[in-house]
Amino acid sequence: MAERDGGAELGDHWLKVGFVAPALLLLLCVNIFPLFYSFWLSFTDADLIGSDGVHWVGTRNYGFLFVDPRFAEALRTTALFVAGAVSAQLLLGYGLALCLRDRFRGKAALLTLLLLPMMMPPAVMGVFWKLILDGSYGVLNHGLAVIGFGQPQWTTDPGLKLLCLLIVDVWMWTPFMFLISSASLNAIPGYIYEAAAIDRASRWRVFRRITLPMSAPLVGLALLLRSTDALKQFDLVMAVTGPNDGATQTVSALLYQVMFRDGKVGMASAYSYVVLVVVIALASVFLRYLNSLRRPVAGAAS
Amino acid sequence: MKNLRWAFLALYGLLSTLPLLWLAITSVKSRVDSIATTAKFIPAVDGVDIEAGSVRFAATLEGFRALGEAYAGASHPYYHYLLNTFLVGSFSTVAAVLLGTLCAYGFSRFRIPGERDWLFFILSTRFLPPLAVVIPILMMYRGLGLTNTHLGLVILYTAFNLSLAVWLMKGFIDDIPAAYEEAALVDGYTRWQAFLRVVLPRAFPGMAVTAVFCLISAWNEYGFAMTLNNRDAVTVPVYFAGLQGNVQGMPWSQVGAGVLLFVTPVVVFTVLSRKHLLRGVTFGTIKQ
Repeated sequence: MAERDGGAELGDHWLKVGFVAPALLLLLCVNIFPLFYSFWLSFTDADLIGSDGVHWVGTRNYGFLFVDPRFAEALRTTALFVAGAVSAQLLLGYGLALCLRDRFRGKAALLTLLLLPMMMPPAVMGVFWKLILDGSYGVLNHGLAVIGFGQPQWTTDPGLKLLCLLIVDVWMWTPFMFLISSASLNAIPGYIYEAAAIDRASRWRVFRRITLPMSAPLVGLALLLRSTDALKQFDLVMAVTGPNDGATQTVSALLYQVMFRDGKVGMASAYSYVVLVVVIALASVFLRYLNSLRRPVAGAAS
Repeated sequence: MKNLRWAFLALYGLLSTLPLLWLAITSVKSRVDSIATTAKFIPAVDGVDIEAGSVRFAATLEGFRALGEAYAGASHPYYHYLLNTFLVGSFSTVAAVLLGTLCAYGFSRFRIPGERDWLFFILSTRFLPPLAVVIPILMMYRGLGLTNTHLGLVILYTAFNLSLAVWLMKGFIDDIPAAYEEAALVDGYTRWQAFLRVVLPRAFPGMAVTAVFCLISAWNEYGFAMTLNNRDAVTVPVYFAGLQGNVQGMPWSQVGAGVLLFVTPVVVFTVLSRKHLLRGVTFGTIKQ
């Protein structure tokens, strides 16, 4: 259209700025300015109470990163959590999508039921899951007793706490994986399967050669979205174990601990900068992937 | 193979809905029954004798009634926090959808230098972990007197939902043929009038869908609400999560009842916009 090919009207330039600028300004104020501000804070000894002024301390805060065992441990816990949660969600979600390819009566209602967990507020459901997982009055252990299983102390045994988080996260977000997996399977055109049937390809072969590769791009998108989300995991940690539990201290929980419990704003800023670098690196991988995917997928799925 | 498939489906369906069912059951239990050492899962109406150790329990609306009273240690009843969530959620949603629609229209219809880079910058703000940006924001808010205010949360949620709003709305507006506006411009409308009278009505369904997704994320948000508000604008997730470690223990039936009320609008809206669910959770990348 005319405007796209070079401003036809007088004042079009300002109009265009007027449409786009308010949103960008807000993002600059709320997202970008704070990043610069915290970069400066990370070189100071600012504390939460702000008692005796803010002093420049150079790279001291960053030096602590290497000696603070909590930081390395938090990175390890986060990596373990992301890997465990996302892979379980992928297997279950993709499996469900494969099982639910056929049309049948009541499918829409069943889908809604399956999607319910991802609409729940994570912080509150994390708290409620503690009632379910409780060692003595939790319904899970009641159930395990009936089938003659032991009584694991889910929420208090250090070896099981991370598993608790994984259980809740998998429960909550498998529906997300399922939703996108289903869409990816639905986007595979039926004639390809008809061709495979004419060639008398085995079921396993059809799955390996057609279903899996053709659904992979969208499933990859889901994986990246889930990973970046799981990386930020904070709500569940706070609800299930609190921020200062060595067994489940993710980087977000550690940031909370250093900032709000220890009150060390400067140090927390330095830690958060390292986290940001990791997140931004991952996000750029994601964006690149999205870029490569955008056109062909939009065509196939619409 | 078929049996295996149904077994897997049934098992997953059962395990996935049980926690929700337990939530509903807990909401009609008395305090004692909610933490009984035998699983009580069959509600009974008044007047039925229940022996000790039975799986039956006397159903009661105690939990729902308790929502109207301030619980020990909390300064307000549940509905106060629900109102806070509602105010913060609805204002931030409206703001994000309006700003997002304007911005998306600009990107959709004008040639903007570095358009792709801007759009990806907007999306990238979604990936920042709240805890990593909350530190400078808290310091900034203290200077501006925005901590513990509804406005503070509204601004934050608006900004964090903008990425979603811009990306979703760009998809919806791209679907509206530009020929409509061109005709309006030829008829003597200004660009702004054409936007208001021609594009906006056609973009409205998309705006409603976008609003649903913005509202859900603001509704359930915890990290910012908890760290920036411990007094005046406390939302429901912060309230319930904060009951942990309460001197009187967790009021489980109240939690059950409160969560049921809390998620009802979210579930209703999601079901209403289920056609666009996929679009919503993938930033408009997948159009169903």
